[in-house]
Amino acid sequence: MIKCLSAAAVVASALLVAGCQPEGSGTTGAQADCVPSTGGSVNLYTARHYASDDAIYAAFTCSTGIAVRKIEFRAPELLARLQAEGSASPADVVVIADAGAMDEAANAGFLVPFDDATIDGRIPEQWRDPQGRWFGIARRARIVAYDTRRVQPGEIDDYADLASPRFHGQVCTQTSDAVYNLTLLSALIDRWGSERALEWAHGVVANMARPPQGSDTDQIKAVAAGQCQVAITNHYYFLRLAESEDAADQAVVEHLALAFPQIDGRGSHFNLSGAGLAANAPNRENAIRFLEFLTGPQSQTTFATMTNEFPTATGTELPADLEAYSHHPADPLPLASYAEHRAEAQRIFEQAGWR
Amino acid sequence: MPLLAARPSPLRTGAVIAALVALIPLVAVLITAGGQATDSLTPETFWRYARTSGALVLLVGLGTGVIGGLAAWLVALHEFPGRRLFSWALVLPLAAPAFVLAYGYASLFDVAGPIRTAWRTAFGWDPPFEMRTLWGAALVMTLAFYPYVYLTLRAALLSQSSSLVEAARTLGLSRRQAFMRIALPLARPALAAGMALAVMETLADYGATSYLTVQTLTTGVVRAWAVFSSTAEAARLALPLLVAAAVLLWVERANRKAVGEAGQARWRGIEREHLGGVKGWGAAAYCSLLILFGLALPLGWLIHLGWAGDHDIARLVSGARNALGIGVVAALVTTLLATVVALGTRHDRFLPRLLSLGYATPGAVMAIGLLAPAALIWRAFPSTASSVLMALTLMVLAYAARLMAAALEPIDAGLQRVGSSVGAAARTLGEDAIGAARRVDLPIASGALFTAALLVFIDVLKELPATMILRPFGFDTLAVMADYYAKDERLGEAAWPSLVIVLVALPAVLWLTRRVSHSRPGDPT
Repeated sequence: MIKCLSAAAVVASALLVAGCQPEGSGTTGAQADCVPSTGGSVNLYTARHYASDDAIYAAFTCSTGIAVRKIEFRAPELLARLQAEGSASPADVVVIADAGAMDEAANAGFLVPFDDATIDGRIPEQWRDPQGRWFGIARRARIVAYDTRRVQPGEIDDYADLASPRFHGQVCTQTSDAVYNLTLLSALIDRWGSERALEWAHGVVANMARPPQGSDTDQIKAVAAGQCQVAITNHYYFLRLAESEDAADQAVVEHLALAFPQIDGRGSHFNLSGAGLAANAPNRENAIRFLEFLTGPQSQTTFATMTNEFPTATGTELPADLEAYSHHPADPLPLASYAEHRAEAQRIFEQAGWR
Repeated sequence: MPLLAARPSPLRTGAVIAALVALIPLVAVLITAGGQATDSLTPETFWRYARTSGALVLLVGLGTGVIGGLAAWLVALHEFPGRRLFSWALVLPLAAPAFVLAYGYASLFDVAGPIRTAWRTAFGWDPPFEMRTLWGAALVMTLAFYPYVYLTLRAALLSQSSSLVEAARTLGLSRRQAFMRIALPLARPALAAGMALAVMETLADYGATSYLTVQTLTTGVVRAWAVFSSTAEAARLALPLLVAAAVLLWVERANRKAVGEAGQARWRGIEREHLGGVKGWGAAAYCSLLILFGLALPLGWLIHLGWAGDHDIARLVSGARNALGIGVVAALVTTLLATVVALGTRHDRFLPRLLSLGYATPGAVMAIGLLAPAALIWRAFPSTASSVLMALTLMVLAYAARLMAAALEPIDAGLQRVGSSVGAAARTLGEDAIGAARRVDLPIASGALFTAALLVFIDVLKELPATMILRPFGFDTLAVMADYYAKDERLGEAAWPSLVIVLVALPAVLWLTRRVSHSRPGDPT
């Protein structure tokens, strides 16, 4: 019996291995109207891992003939690897889905400033590092999903409302080490000062329907299940559920809507995915072409359609469901503040008992 | 140090060199921990993590000891319906990484998951089944790790000489008394070894605990690293884990020493107690439940989720090929290194214990420790930083450093069973130390070497942090893919690589079971 089964399992894995003979290197692209390979490449260290990005890399290879070689990391590992490699690093381009970590990479000297009129022309100053070391390629709003049957649209105009007794026992959220919670609190510290930020954290903890747990999608589903009335979430998780063909996902968002709270009327909190040129880029020219490509209309539209992120380039055409939210203003927080207050944000969370 | 004081012999020199592979990252962790940290966690938070880690370890240790121990006792010493099937099927959950079980259970028992939704619909209130708690995590990890206890204890019970128990019976002890007073004490080191493995896995686990939102020292390490960008603080948080591991290993060693010679083996079929009627079916039901909850339920749910999720066959296949390739190479290298260490330190128990610490060290910390020596190489020879071969070599060494313990345990046990007299006889017949090892010890212990290689292979399939930080361009493994999809909150997509991990690990697990089943000469199962 065991012999049979293990033989079957061996056959299964042999098939797996056999079925994987080179299927043509995926990055060079086999479409007929692509530019033939130049033999050149760009080495990418990225902490983003979305299908939209793979589509963009393939499009870049197709239109330039430059292959994209990438390693996907989580942000701290990416920074640690760059640190360890030092000047020997083969990285040309660094991409991270968090403005705080981008800023940290820049401050650690892993990125170099470069002048590029194309990029400066496409991306508004608000989404570019003042020292020119990195710029935003896509934006995500950290906002609130609410139960339309139990909450009125006007009840969450400001992040402060999440801490009001109105929502006692009705707030669902992730843990405090979720990076988007950290940047949100960093922004609040910057705008409100530490004392008020701590008060706010205490208030939200008092309002929690359950101990912080799970992902953003789990928070949205908990609202649908009636465990809480409001959930702190990134906007695109909600849109992903709303766009899903799965009936169960559709049912989740049936009685839910997004509210865009503001910080003292300045706008909602947006985090940035950033890109920059690595300090020791061996393929500098290719890297700059790649960075320009990320800000081009094709890439920007792909971020918007496939990942439901807000583009950073002005004038990008948006899909209808994202367009519906595009009028919400973003708090013009200086990019340096994202990283600056992060350690303090973690301390405030701990002090408030936000686990 | 006894090791260095001893007269240098080729085996010893080899052992020291092999040991360096595992020691260098540990030393690097200590050096890193001495570095300056800008910010740190508050003491309250640290103690909260430590308490959670302690409670989790206690629960999982007890849980695996009781659940796996009971299963081993039933299967090894009793006859009941389906026993032969269960004797190997009970090991199967070893093929599923703990984080895969966590995906399945967290989603099944989520407030919006199928079970609680159905319950609310039927009864109008929300049942308090919550997996994202300490208890939930303890349950998930007990189910994931009980096979370690089952495997070691069952092997020990099977390899016990029947003459001791028979002697006890002739002296008037009942079957139960003979088990409690003879068989169990003799098998205690095996029980302790299995529990030690389970507990060390628990201490080092990040994937399952973080997914279940249980905040342990290990998740704290990652938090310190990510939030304060401080590898020093992360390494410092790992120090209590190293101490805990050292204590565990010391306890296990002390246990082993106390046993001594377990009598001459006399191989005869074990007389199994027949469990009739309700008892027999109860035993069968117990074993079935373990397989149901350890494998069938969470995996079945993931298959259901995966059905609806997208998948990219080409990526899955290349991920599987990468995982398989590096897994085999790492298993061979680690087993080779562990064998050299085991042969060179047969009378010195200190070094192998020390090397085993890597097993209980969180992967993220080992990754930090591994980057330091890697950095030296990269900076000295800049061209190696972009070399695929170099990156793969570093990965293999990383696995060897981290998984040395998993290989050393069975190899040590195998060599101990050979005993020293056979090797001594070979020496008197003119073989030198290496020749005796090659021609006598290793052939006899070859089964143990194979077991070690399989254990390492299975562990490499699940490994995440070292893989992620050291890999070359374009090198995804199944575990890395599963983690990305899960982090991106796409469980349906994460289900695919998760299930392929199980599929790839399954043959190894089945071989492992077969080895254990045949560990008693003349025993048909």
